[in-house]
Amino acid sequence: MEVLVTGAASDLGQQLAAVLGREHRVRLFDERQFPVPARADSRQGSLLAAEDVWQAVRGVQAVVHTAVPPAGVPAAGLGREQALLEWYARGTHVLMQACVDAGVRRCVYLSTLELFRAYPDDVYISEQWRPLPPPQMEILGPYLGELVCREFAADYRIGVTVLRLGRLEYEETVAPDAPDLLWLDPRDAAQACALALRADLSQEVHSARRWRVLHICAQHPDGKYLIQRAREIGYAPVHNYAAVWGGERG
Amino acid sequence: MAKKKVLLLGAAGLVAPHITAGLERHFELRLADIQPHPGGREQLHVDIGCYEQVLAAARGMDAIFNFTVNRGHPVLSFTVNVLGAYHVLRAAVELGIRRIVHTGPQSVIGAYQHDFDVDDPPPRPGAGYYGITKHLSNELCRVFARAHDLQIVCFLFNGLRARPEGPIRGEDFPAFTVVWEDLVEACRLAVEADARAIAGGFQILNLHSHQGHGKYLLDKAARVLGFRPLEPVERLYRRRVG
Repeated sequence: MEVLVTGAASDLGQQLAAVLGREHRVRLFDERQFPVPARADSRQGSLLAAEDVWQAVRGVQAVVHTAVPPAGVPAAGLGREQALLEWYARGTHVLMQACVDAGVRRCVYLSTLELFRAYPDDVYISEQWRPLPPPQMEILGPYLGELVCREFAADYRIGVTVLRLGRLEYEETVAPDAPDLLWLDPRDAAQACALALRADLSQEVHSARRWRVLHICAQHPDGKYLIQRAREIGYAPVHNYAAVWGGERG
Repeated sequence: MAKKKVLLLGAAGLVAPHITAGLERHFELRLADIQPHPGGREQLHVDIGCYEQVLAAARGMDAIFNFTVNRGHPVLSFTVNVLGAYHVLRAAVELGIRRIVHTGPQSVIGAYQHDFDVDDPPPRPGAGYYGITKHLSNELCRVFARAHDLQIVCFLFNGLRARPEGPIRGEDFPAFTVVWEDLVEACRLAVEADARAIAGGFQILNLHSHQGHGKYLLDKAARVLGFRPLEPVERLYRRRVG
């Protein structure tokens, strides 16, 4: 397949380019310039510009929307919140509309497990729990993007997999004195994306089956965030922070 | 007792001018819109896409009615319906205003148009600009209400109109349509309701004026606010028998 990856200039985007490039032709998209691997294609443009997005989407069979906001977003304050809100809400709508118009059948949307941070640590969080986003757009924005994707999956023949990712930290460089149950190595995140792309949900007759949500993080010995459903598509995290979690077993 | 001061955003739109006089019997209104008022009423010029203007307009108010909307524009629908709702919520938090009345289109007819007893099902707004942007604004309300202890009532409707002045023959009343007097009454109840009635700080309520169909129910609006149509409109849609 030819797969479009948004947010390609981000570290996660680069990981995705490397991992997805083993199986697919990869087209990379971002507002800023970025390194393009030898066998990959690239487009530069804004998610908020329908023509840019159309040019990026046409001809691909699948899209991975990293939902990593562009570098040009203000660093803080009201301007940042406004820009993120527009980017996550309208930007995701622009992308999904282009996907539908271009006949894209598979979409993977990368959201965040931070939506469940508000729950106490003594519960097991699965995909059945209601997201509790805070009002900050860093986390609320990805949730709004999920809602946009869901309506497209309901209205059109496009399959959407939402991967709610944990907090991205490389296993080798993680700060051991501040362990986080949300940790996820970006290489495992890329693995999950590759697996999610294998299913074509677009031809499911019932709209609810054109949409699925999977939680993706490292395998903790007794983790708050369960990844059983992701294991059903073959997800097997390699980087599980054993040097840190080893002291917290039982 | 002094009337509560309420900011009416979207005062010159398709809905608010029809209910302004009714609302003024209960509240001291501050009218605001980006377009001229059709009745020539004095109002603040407020672009809901500009936070500073929303904040200034809301200063000193006890509550906010948000009747702003853009239905079909690919950019403005997001600016008005999503960013605008965010500005209202943020201004309310900044100014300590706890009570907001939000509005939007019903999002159940598409999915449940062949059903009955439709009260409070999960919304199915669809991917169109109007439905999805208002749906996102409702989620913003839910999140802000929970985080900042606001009390927000969102009224959903499909159509709005004047109550017929006399009996109607050979027609049925359109589903999910509210008459102006009932919308005024619902707004009054939403501002005056005890905070505990608005469970979770955010309640979405169907609003219409005809209960005879048994199709879209008003049970939740009755439970939460005690709302019932003031004068059942179905009484005007009667065949003459005998």
